[in-house]
Amino acid sequence: MSKSYYEFFCPVKIIAGHSALEHVPFELSTLGAKRPMILTDAGVRKAGLLAPVEAALQVGGIGAAAIFDDVPPDSSLATVRAAATTYRDNDCDAILAIGGGSVIDTSKAVNILVSLGGDDLMAYAGAHNLPRPLKPLFVIPTTSGTGSEVTLAAVISDPERSVKLPFASYYLMPNATVLDPRMTLTLPAHITAMTGMDAMTHAVEAFTCLAANPISDAYATAAIQKIANNLLVAIDEPRNADARLELAQASTMAGIAFSNAMVGLVHALGHATGGVCHLPHGLCMSLYLPYALEYNKSVNGARIGELLLPLAGAQVYASTPPAQRADVAIDFIRRLRDHLHAKTQLPRTLQETGKVRRDQLDEIADRALNDGSIIYNPKEADLGQLRAILDKAWG
Amino acid sequence: MTAHSLSLAAAQRAYVALMMTVISRGLCAASINDDDVGREVARFRPGYTLVMTVFPDGPRFGLEVTPDGHFARSAVTDEAADLVIRFKHLAHAFLVFTFQEGTARAFANDRMVADGDLSDAIRLVRCLNRMEALILPGPVARRALKQYPPLPLGQKLRTASGIYGRVAASFFTR
Ligand SMILES: [Fe+2]
Repeated sequence: MSKSYYEFFCPVKIIAGHSALEHVPFELSTLGAKRPMILTDAGVRKAGLLAPVEAALQVGGIGAAAIFDDVPPDSSLATVRAAATTYRDNDCDAILAIGGGSVIDTSKAVNILVSLGGDDLMAYAGAHNLPRPLKPLFVIPTTSGTGSEVTLAAVISDPERSVKLPFASYYLMPNATVLDPRMTLTLPAHITAMTGMDAMTHAVEAFTCLAANPISDAYATAAIQKIANNLLVAIDEPRNADARLELAQASTMAGIAFSNAMVGLVHALGHATGGVCHLPHGLCMSLYLPYALEYNKSVNGARIGELLLPLAGAQVYASTPPAQRADVAIDFIRRLRDHLHAKTQLPRTLQETGKVRRDQLDEIADRALNDGSIIYNPKEADLGQLRAILDKAWG
Repeated sequence: MTAHSLSLAAAQRAYVALMMTVISRGLCAASINDDDVGREVARFRPGYTLVMTVFPDGPRFGLEVTPDGHFARSAVTDEAADLVIRFKHLAHAFLVFTFQEGTARAFANDRMVADGDLSDAIRLVRCLNRMEALILPGPVARRALKQYPPLPLGQKLRTASGIYGRVAASFFTR
């Protein structure tokens, strides 16, 4: 079905390629920023990823005025406040986030406090509750998966009330995202695999769910092609800068696609599984993607069949009869999952993770039913149907 | 703006306002009469408030969850409500309330924004879908819903007449 109405928005400047980091000082200066605070985590620092950034800033005449490297994997209100204090104490005027999803989400929340003043992040939670633009925010992703570098959303946990606070506003979108292959060269194989499958799922769901539109489709299919062609290469040759750059671009493209076309059942199940069993998000995506497509096939099989072209290439696509393309596309994804298992021991089933008990499946199904993503799934799913998908994914 | 388009807007506004009333009362009735809707509503905490409205200033309705887990109509303000679902334009609300565009499709088409916990919004959409499946004639419901549940005719008639009965009653008793 063609889309009767849609909106598309992405004002984030993409700075991508070899030596991209060296463009950061000039880009900061065009926004009037002179004293950026680097926001990152201990892992990034230990991997030595700050060195090339600091060197690029130094030579460009805009040194980091402060470094906050204490962001935990699941960022909290306390971290946001602490980082905001560092920013204020050092008289900073921009934020440079270097890391994965947690660092990027934290940087957006810190930007709310340092731009709008005060300490009360809660006052800005929800959709479109920011009154004006924020300070310059640049993002340098060190994983290729979340897509958070181009989205308008951030999630911060409040451990005291044990809730997750969602934020969504156009003003949360970074001014620029910097994709430099040096930043992902040292990413371990299993994290490359998980984050790659997260990006793949963003693109596949953006293309196959209800809010897909012609512009998001273009980003989604291009992202799928890059991931299909480069994920296994980057795992086999971790220091292959071209493959790493392709994955980084694919992740950002998939992020642009899903932030405009949303995600569906795979993410509903993944969010639920993350909440109940604390399984990594990318792993959940890899586990559920084939089964969710299988489930949706009866409603949008033709659309799923179109995925075969970016996944497998023109020759396979042309030689596969249209009626079989959906099945062959799903099979391609299943085989990718199996290759990732062979190369990185990424679990193929819920059972293989060793972290999920069978008696937790009911709770996962119940949470998935109430997850926001499920509304965009092309096929309605009730509790029993979700449970049946989970039984298949159990293995 | 021409006189024609203004009077069309006035008519749409009147229709949407009427449907807001019908739907809010339908939800209240379904929360008592229909087991599925009742179960969904019981999962909101008592005192939970929600608003469905149209940018910039209505028409609108507010609902509150009663201590015994049903919906009741409420005068809660947008600012105080736990969940606000806002159509971006009167014309979009008209599409949805004339069942030309389903609620899920309307979300996907950016016709409305939800402010509040998204899982609460999803639950409300399920209640709306269920109520539409119950009270609308099959062909209309099929167009509005992603999936039209196979309801036994007897159940549909029983529950629907109960909902219609209560909606009618609530028009007279308020
Ligand atoms: Fe994801």
